[in-house]
Amino acid sequence: MSGLLVATLVLGLAGCVAGAASPIGIRTPLSVALTLAACAGALAVGVAVLVRGRAVSFHDQHLLPLSGFNLRLDRFGALFVVVSAGVAVCALVYRLGYDGHGLSSRTASAVLPAFVTTLLFVPSASDVTTFLFFWELMALTSLLLVLADHRHRAEVPVAGQWYAVMTQFGAAAILVGLVLLATHAGSQSFAAIAASSLHMRPWVRSAAFVLVVIGFGSKAGAVPLHVWLPRAHSESSGPVSALMSAAMVNLGIYGIVRVGDGLLHGGPVWWWLMVMAIGALSALFGALHSATSRDLKRLLAYSTTDNMGLVLLAVGASGLFAVTGRHALALVALVAALLHVVFHAVFKGCLFLSASSIQQATGTRDLDSLGGLLRRMPVTGSVFLVGGLAMAALPVLCGFVSEWLLLQSMLHGLPSKDPAVAVAMPVGVGVLALTGGLAAFTFVKAAGIGLLGLPRTEAAARAREVGPAMTGGSGVLAALCVLLGVAPFLVLPAVIDAANGVLGRRGPDPLVRGWQVGLSGVHGVLAPGILAAVLCAAVGTVALVRAAVEPGPVRVAEAWGCGRELQTARMEYTATSFGEPLTRVFEDVLAPSHDVDISHVAESRYYVEAATVHTSTDDGFERRLYAPAQRALRRFGTAARSVPNGSVHRYLAFGLVALVLVLVLVA
Amino acid sequence: MTFSSALALAAGAVLVCAVSVLWLTSVRSVIRAVAIQGVALGTVALILGVDQRDPGLIAAASVVLVLKGAVIPALLSRSGGGDSRGRESRPLVNVPASLVAAAALIVVAFVTTRGVGRFVGTSAGSLVPVGVATMLIGFFVLVTRRRPVFQIVGLLMVDNGIALVAFLSTAGVPFLIELGVSLDIFLGVMMLMVLTRRLKVEFGDVDLDELQELRD
Repeated sequence: MSGLLVATLVLGLAGCVAGAASPIGIRTPLSVALTLAACAGALAVGVAVLVRGRAVSFHDQHLLPLSGFNLRLDRFGALFVVVSAGVAVCALVYRLGYDGHGLSSRTASAVLPAFVTTLLFVPSASDVTTFLFFWELMALTSLLLVLADHRHRAEVPVAGQWYAVMTQFGAAAILVGLVLLATHAGSQSFAAIAASSLHMRPWVRSAAFVLVVIGFGSKAGAVPLHVWLPRAHSESSGPVSALMSAAMVNLGIYGIVRVGDGLLHGGPVWWWLMVMAIGALSALFGALHSATSRDLKRLLAYSTTDNMGLVLLAVGASGLFAVTGRHALALVALVAALLHVVFHAVFKGCLFLSASSIQQATGTRDLDSLGGLLRRMPVTGSVFLVGGLAMAALPVLCGFVSEWLLLQSMLHGLPSKDPAVAVAMPVGVGVLALTGGLAAFTFVKAAGIGLLGLPRTEAAARAREVGPAMTGGSGVLAALCVLLGVAPFLVLPAVIDAANGVLGRRGPDPLVRGWQVGLSGVHGVLAPGILAAVLCAAVGTVALVRAAVEPGPVRVAEAWGCGRELQTARMEYTATSFGEPLTRVFEDVLAPSHDVDISHVAESRYYVEAATVHTSTDDGFERRLYAPAQRALRRFGTAARSVPNGSVHRYLAFGLVALVLVLVLVA
Repeated sequence: MTFSSALALAAGAVLVCAVSVLWLTSVRSVIRAVAIQGVALGTVALILGVDQRDPGLIAAASVVLVLKGAVIPALLSRSGGGDSRGRESRPLVNVPASLVAAAALIVVAFVTTRGVGRFVGTSAGSLVPVGVATMLIGFFVLVTRRRPVFQIVGLLMVDNGIALVAFLSTAGVPFLIELGVSLDIFLGVMMLMVLTRRLKVEFGDVDLDELQELRD
């Protein structure tokens, strides 16, 4: 098996070389084929690890200097590898039919396989240096892919700058946190850190955990470090945004769970309350912005922040249960978190790919310029509908099962003596309920405005269905949404094994297997398969009854036409107007700005010639946190310019002072 | 005179020369001081070479004696950037303050690098702080003196300090390395002298802080 792991790495590198060196005619097919082969290898290794339960490892002393190159794929890591590989396969198939966004350039062709390969290998690193090597490579390659289209659109370099700064900030925090642990463990292998972490001093453990939560939280898009996410995801090309949103952000969760549960074996109550607070804030903030955004990909990106917030909420709840000694509930919450990671990857991959199809077909991602696409792009529209329903966590689709499990674990945690748990759990339940409602609202807006109704622009009216590779790549993920929603037991054992693997104990199995999902010992069982069957039966019955009762001819007329035959797109709701009530309710958070511009005819100012309205909401954290920080940094930079004044003596003095300081510090 | 006291005397002479550069203001006497320092440094190498019966070290010592004791000072005083009669009339830090700073630098050097001496373990090794102190004072000359000749002298003192540390803390610097280092410093001094002359032609005066105008 370790041979296959190495083969995966070699294939990924071969894809990278093929993208860089092969002639333009075969560049894309060759590099994509090699990368697909790498994904297949990773899938095989990951599934084998999950089924057999035995970790696969590979060690080499020469590939990385000083530390060696150490891989060890256990069940927990294998789950993330399988998710990344699955998303990558669909995104790469999709990429074969996708053009534009500078993805066919030599650089992008070479970097895309490298990015996919790092996604597959970050979860299999087993020491600090190897992990950071892949992590940094992942950050760099994804940055290059975000920047692929920088020549044509001015927003791209800005998005790239935000992403570069935030990802490097996060990487620095992770670096310091992990190095702190490695120094105090005396070894940089994860196994050694896990073995000695319980004997470390409390401040070391806490400092490392906080740093790691900051670093990995920024990758997972957690508030307030999420600012890069809506920009980078919406400005990057379709396959890349799907890979980033469905596979890369998961690795932030991977890091937090791996370090918090796997290496540090849990910690004090405040750690997990902090994680829960970040998760709750991210979920609410993401859901709210997603519900009011009119940019299709930005909406999906904020929804990623929302979903990762829910996962963090579950991770925090799991840690809190573990600290208070309720290990069965801790396992359920962690399973809910990991299941949501898997399901989120499936439906968000599906949504980003189909949204990119829509963007390619219409040339825009502004919801207010779309409309009527379900009729013009039936396959892509249906795929988007399925993904959207899963995002809204509606039954018989996959998002529902994981959110249901999370809700159950938090509800059953309510009767608690510990005040922290007793306060945190009801708040968590409330957050979950509110984000669920907002996600449904978001779905209604995106599907109703974008897919239904009349086309609002000429481009939307002329939209045609995209090619088979693109519909195929996103369609597979949509099929998975349905399949996993009806039969979650296909992945549930693997997720439970992964959760047990990282928690390091083998408690009583709390989940009922078979067609049902539930908690052992308490009431509350979900059988999605039966639910689906009942739903199908009910819909079928209604259809039959209708057919039987109303056999007469059907008159076709425009809905809500008030008897008129004429109806134009300007009479329709827009995304802005649909979200307006919500914007008004949450005015303090969203801070919407309205700009009404009226020009009058020259003869009389009582007659209006044209009126335009601009409304926009901006990110509160960007305005209140990042803008002052940027201003302060700029002031500091301007002030610091007077320090190097051109005097040779002053520069030499810097050298002397530094030398003396180093001497004093070293002594 | 025993080996260790002779060594201490020569190394001490290197440091005294360094301090005297801070005290002197006329270009001519400063060049003389750095020449004496070069001779003292060569003597240290010579004593070590004779003691260890190492012909390579003796050869290195003779290179140092010729180059730093005679050739470079002669070059400096002959051309001196056309500045051999000048005085450092207004240093950035005046002479008494410079001497106090030198005392502080010597203390820093001794406090921080005593460990190196203990680590080396020989009687020569215990003199390593002298070399570090010489280097720091040379650096201080670079920072506080305006005239280009003083800059060259400061650079020479930094190099002398490093060479002293190298001689004292190792079991003999290989001849080839000493030759390379000496050649480096020789070329560095030549370049600085050319630069100094060009500066004088371009700017008329030779205060380095006039270069500030070149910024931006």
